[in-house]
Amino acid sequence: MSKDLNYDTWFRLDNSGKIFPEVSNHRETNVFRVGVSLTEKIDKDLLQLAVDGILNRYPMFKVKLKKGLFWSYFDYNSKPFIVEELKHYVCGEIHPKKNNSYLFRVMYRNKDIVIEMFHSLADGAGVIMLLKALTYEYLVLAGKDIKPDNLVPTKNQRPMAEEYEDANSKFYDPKNKKHVPEKRAYRIKGTYLSEDLTGLISGTISTSKILQLARENNLTITEYLAALMMYTIYNTQIRYRGHIKSNQAPVKIFVPVNLRKHFPSNTLRNFSNFVKTDLVMTEDDITFENLLAHVKERFEKGMTKSELIRKMSENVAFEKNVLLRFTPYFLKKYALKIGYNMLGMKLNTMSLTNIGRIDFPESMEPYIVDVTAAVYAGKFNTLNCSIVSYKDKFKITFTRSIIETTIEREFFRHFTDLGFDVEIESNYVEEY
Amino acid sequence: MKHCDKCKITINTHNNYCPLCQQVLEGETDSKVIEKYPEYVSLNREVYPLTKKILMFFTFVSIIILAIINLASYDGKLWSLVPIGSIVFFWILMSVGVFSRHNIAFKFATITLLLIGLLILIDVMAENSGWSYNYLMPFLLSSCNLAISTTILVRRIDYRDYILYLLTILILSLIPIALVFGNIIDITWPSITSFALAITILFFIIFFFPKSIKDEIKKRFHA
Repeated sequence: MSKDLNYDTWFRLDNSGKIFPEVSNHRETNVFRVGVSLTEKIDKDLLQLAVDGILNRYPMFKVKLKKGLFWSYFDYNSKPFIVEELKHYVCGEIHPKKNNSYLFRVMYRNKDIVIEMFHSLADGAGVIMLLKALTYEYLVLAGKDIKPDNLVPTKNQRPMAEEYEDANSKFYDPKNKKHVPEKRAYRIKGTYLSEDLTGLISGTISTSKILQLARENNLTITEYLAALMMYTIYNTQIRYRGHIKSNQAPVKIFVPVNLRKHFPSNTLRNFSNFVKTDLVMTEDDITFENLLAHVKERFEKGMTKSELIRKMSENVAFEKNVLLRFTPYFLKKYALKIGYNMLGMKLNTMSLTNIGRIDFPESMEPYIVDVTAAVYAGKFNTLNCSIVSYKDKFKITFTRSIIETTIEREFFRHFTDLGFDVEIESNYVEEY
Repeated sequence: MKHCDKCKITINTHNNYCPLCQQVLEGETDSKVIEKYPEYVSLNREVYPLTKKILMFFTFVSIIILAIINLASYDGKLWSLVPIGSIVFFWILMSVGVFSRHNIAFKFATITLLLIGLLILIDVMAENSGWSYNYLMPFLLSSCNLAISTTILVRRIDYRDYILYLLTILILSLIPIALVFGNIIDITWPSITSFALAITILFFIIFFFPKSIKDEIKKRFHA
């Protein structure tokens, strides 16, 4: 089934997307970014043409957010989409009034194309698809002889209805939706940067080497990095300070799980869940090996099908609640906001997103240098990390809303001590 | 490429310090290298212009003074509501009607409803002779109906954004007729004219654009 793009097109928000419009503001932007570096300087006009072509292929991105009586929804956006030059903001608020009501941005700078997207619209996997399609279209317009090889969608394909489906409700199980209460997580401390600044430091290491390192420890890369992250937080922030009250909260690393890999769905909408590490680190003698074991156990438990469905159903059940469903939107807004502020955000110390390996068709590879991903850093999650790999470039990007870079430093020093080559990029936010 | 001795990392930048440990970087970077991330450009924060500040100040001061005088010399009438209401209306007119980027139908609808409210307030506070709801309410609703309908006809591309406000005003046009039956309105012809106009527009949409209404309702009311 396909749907024609016209003025009557509109979409419901998906289950996880419903929360974000209510809880986002200029500090908690819920925006994330992916970018690709090409070998040549970006031509603005070609990029604009490429985006215009792509938007016809992906009607679900050519939308604006509107309010209904019970829920907000995405409505067809008749205004033109305009690409812009990359500014210093990292995942800054996407203000609809300043962006022709679009909920994502496409930016360029030198050899980079960057897409920033509001989380309501899609998750990492969805935006990677968009980035691939855009890069392909751009390179075609730039006169390169490349083929999609079924790895990138092209603008000539027809949009598919399954791309917009709300997959969360498809796998909803009303019998398996038990709510498990959680404790508030440890917050990484530091001195806040001024409000419109976000620090960004990324380090590139070799994919094959880190894969080998993780395998030696009998873990996946994500598990290894989550354990390392806990160890770094422990060493820089908590060790020998366990008697302080605020350090007694559990350290919880929030790791999104791409559910497309676990359940059959091709949606571009939000379809991810999470696993979390959860450990109170007040003792003085926690070793890295302890943490590796802890993470492995937590991930194995969290990734079982029934546990993933439980977490999914928990959210969907909330949305299906008759009382909430028929509360008018202007009241519901506050209910969601209060609920999220009390719980949602504060349940995680930081998020560690592994978008995974990006495959481009072989004919495109000579034109692509590397791929970057980043998520916003807010008031509670002062440091976030996202990872993406392309060929042998394994890129770990930290975004922070605090001045201190101790965690990044110790994290990367772990790799240099093991003899890895680490290449750093920074937006030098501390210079301003 | 520059490198940091302490962190043992390499970095391609013209900056002189290691972003991780703030140590001085060693080595040289090719002068052709362009920094990966752009430099900070100060935010152009919207600073209130002086006029707005002055107006704001006098607004607050006058509202407080009016309220105090009214209460101090209270004789059973809250007359201060009239000037205070007018001042508030002025601000809403400016912020919603003139300076906001809301769609035009929303502006028409909001301003009309507020104006009706204000006029009824003035009427009731003065002699309560009924000119506001006898004449002005139906006429204002009619002109708002006509204004939104004309906008839809002229800017057809955005009609979907406007139609909801048109429907709201059409439904509100039933109020004068209800008041006629409730014997509150004694001069009936303006209310009846306004109702006739509203019904005509409503039928026009229902007969000529039935899908637009159906779609809009489906979108706005999905639960």
